Amino acid sequence: MTDTMIELKELTKIYPGTDVPAVESLTMDIPRGEIVVFVGPSGCGKTTSLKMINRIIEPTSGQIILDGEDVTDVDPDLLRRRIGYVIQQIGLFPHIRIGDNVATVPNLLGWDKERTRARVDELLDIVGLDPDIYRERYPKELSGGQRQRIGVARALAADPPVLLMDEPFGAIDPITRTRLQNEFLRLQDELQKTIVFVTHDIDEAIKMGDRIAILEQKSIPAQFATPEEILTAPANEFVEDFVGAGATLKRLKLTRIREIDIVGDCLTGSITEDKTTLRRKLDDSDWTALLLLDEEHRPIRWLRAPDFRQDRPVDQMGLPAVAFVEPNATLSDALEEMLIGSAGVAIVIDSRGKFQGLLDIDTIINSIQLMRDKSAEFYRAEKLIDPAEVAG
Amino acid sequence: MLLGILAHRYQTFRTSILNLTSWFLTIPSLAFFALLIPIVGIGDTAPIIAMTFYALLPIVRNTVAGLTSVDQAIVEAAKGMGMSARSRLIKIELPNAWPVILAGVRVATLLIIGITAIAALVGGGGLGQEIYSRGINRIPSPGSVEAILGGTGIIVLLAVIVDTIYLGIGRLTIPRGLRD
Repeated sequence: MTDTMIELKELTKIYPGTDVPAVESLTMDIPRGEIVVFVGPSGCGKTTSLKMINRIIEPTSGQIILDGEDVTDVDPDLLRRRIGYVIQQIGLFPHIRIGDNVATVPNLLGWDKERTRARVDELLDIVGLDPDIYRERYPKELSGGQRQRIGVARALAADPPVLLMDEPFGAIDPITRTRLQNEFLRLQDELQKTIVFVTHDIDEAIKMGDRIAILEQKSIPAQFATPEEILTAPANEFVEDFVGAGATLKRLKLTRIREIDIVGDCLTGSITEDKTTLRRKLDDSDWTALLLLDEEHRPIRWLRAPDFRQDRPVDQMGLPAVAFVEPNATLSDALEEMLIGSAGVAIVIDSRGKFQGLLDIDTIINSIQLMRDKSAEFYRAEKLIDPAEVAG
Repeated sequence: MLLGILAHRYQTFRTSILNLTSWFLTIPSLAFFALLIPIVGIGDTAPIIAMTFYALLPIVRNTVAGLTSVDQAIVEAAKGMGMSARSRLIKIELPNAWPVILAGVRVATLLIIGITAIAALVGGGGLGQEIYSRGINRIPSPGSVEAILGGTGIIVLLAVIVDTIYLGIGRLTIPRGLRD
């Protein structure tokens, strides 16, 4: 076992009748268990590069090493049964049932009926479609999103270690696409496949990729790095242009609350305590407000000292607690919640709604500064000039 | 159909095969029958050979058209999953091209039923005998017009029946996922 699952060595493709190679001397190591995204402008050769891995397109020269084995010259049909393949148009076979579609590769590999059937049901379950309902249906009876799920299930059927995906969510409406992306990421958390993913959408690349290869013409990698690196330290102007404006905002979408240690504490009280106890708690502390939790430790209201003068039950005093986020949410989600709730803080809760901590807007801004130390320095330098200009 | 598959697979053959088959169809049927008589003699043989050639065009052409119309994404998906060229053809391409191919066979059959009547002129049997020997050749003797009408009527009826049979075959053989 090596850490590299797919090794591309000097892969070149020259289409017959052309002088300019579509892909020129592409060399890349694709790490085991990661999603590597090929992204670039149309015509840059990213799809050609992908299709050379399972030799749908035969390379003109170069080598493909799959899990330590040179597969450049093995029987392409046998090679492809070891590699899952998902394409944008999905390509479900319209004349056979969903179950038989998913069973394509197991049938080619000669699995027995029982095993195939069990696997088909398992996969339909995994992609969130009830086997009893969908197994016997035909592709035309499914929606676009459901078909794409079946496409993924079919590619996973024989549990291949490698998955190639050519703009898999490209032809799907934006809302369904987001949902499928999230589902797929969750799935990948469990499956840990090595995935090569082609897209022309940099946002999708940042969201899906553990590593991104930004490709220029002829599939020459302009940068091959993690999304963080690409956003904070673009290798050259091409990458910078391609990533486009709003790199910071994209970074916020990339960072999840649980990943950084920025959740603060605050003063809490329980609804089971009486008014006087809560009042004393607040007075004895340095805090200006107290967060009231219900019996299940779920935040319900913010109480400040003046609120205690009101003659109301505790759970109707003060202001309702707003802006909840889960640790899984991104900083971008948290910021949005804060802006909507105009609270300046977001309350972090777990999946059952239990109080975890507080996240305030300054913390987020600070962590942005930390993330992009390079650019932050640049902006600080700019600020020094400002007073002089004002004075002048 | 085999010709059609070959024509689909090998681009270079495609034009020549299609041209050849349409060329056959342009030979007037009577002339074609007459040309074959010196080779195979009078009787049923000449018409059968001629009609085989006539049937070629619609079948070959529709086989090519059917295979070409199969969504390339399906073929690529099949290829990407490691199906050999042969099993792609049998399991994926032919079933998906089948509705179009069957339509070609249907047209060919109806075409032949019409032409068959002429076979009587070169000594072939069949309903043509009714029209020619007992009809046209005996005008204006009594019963000749009835024989012509009767023969024609039966041919039309036969065509309708055969057409219906093809509809039935279509129902039975076109996969459910492909039907509207």
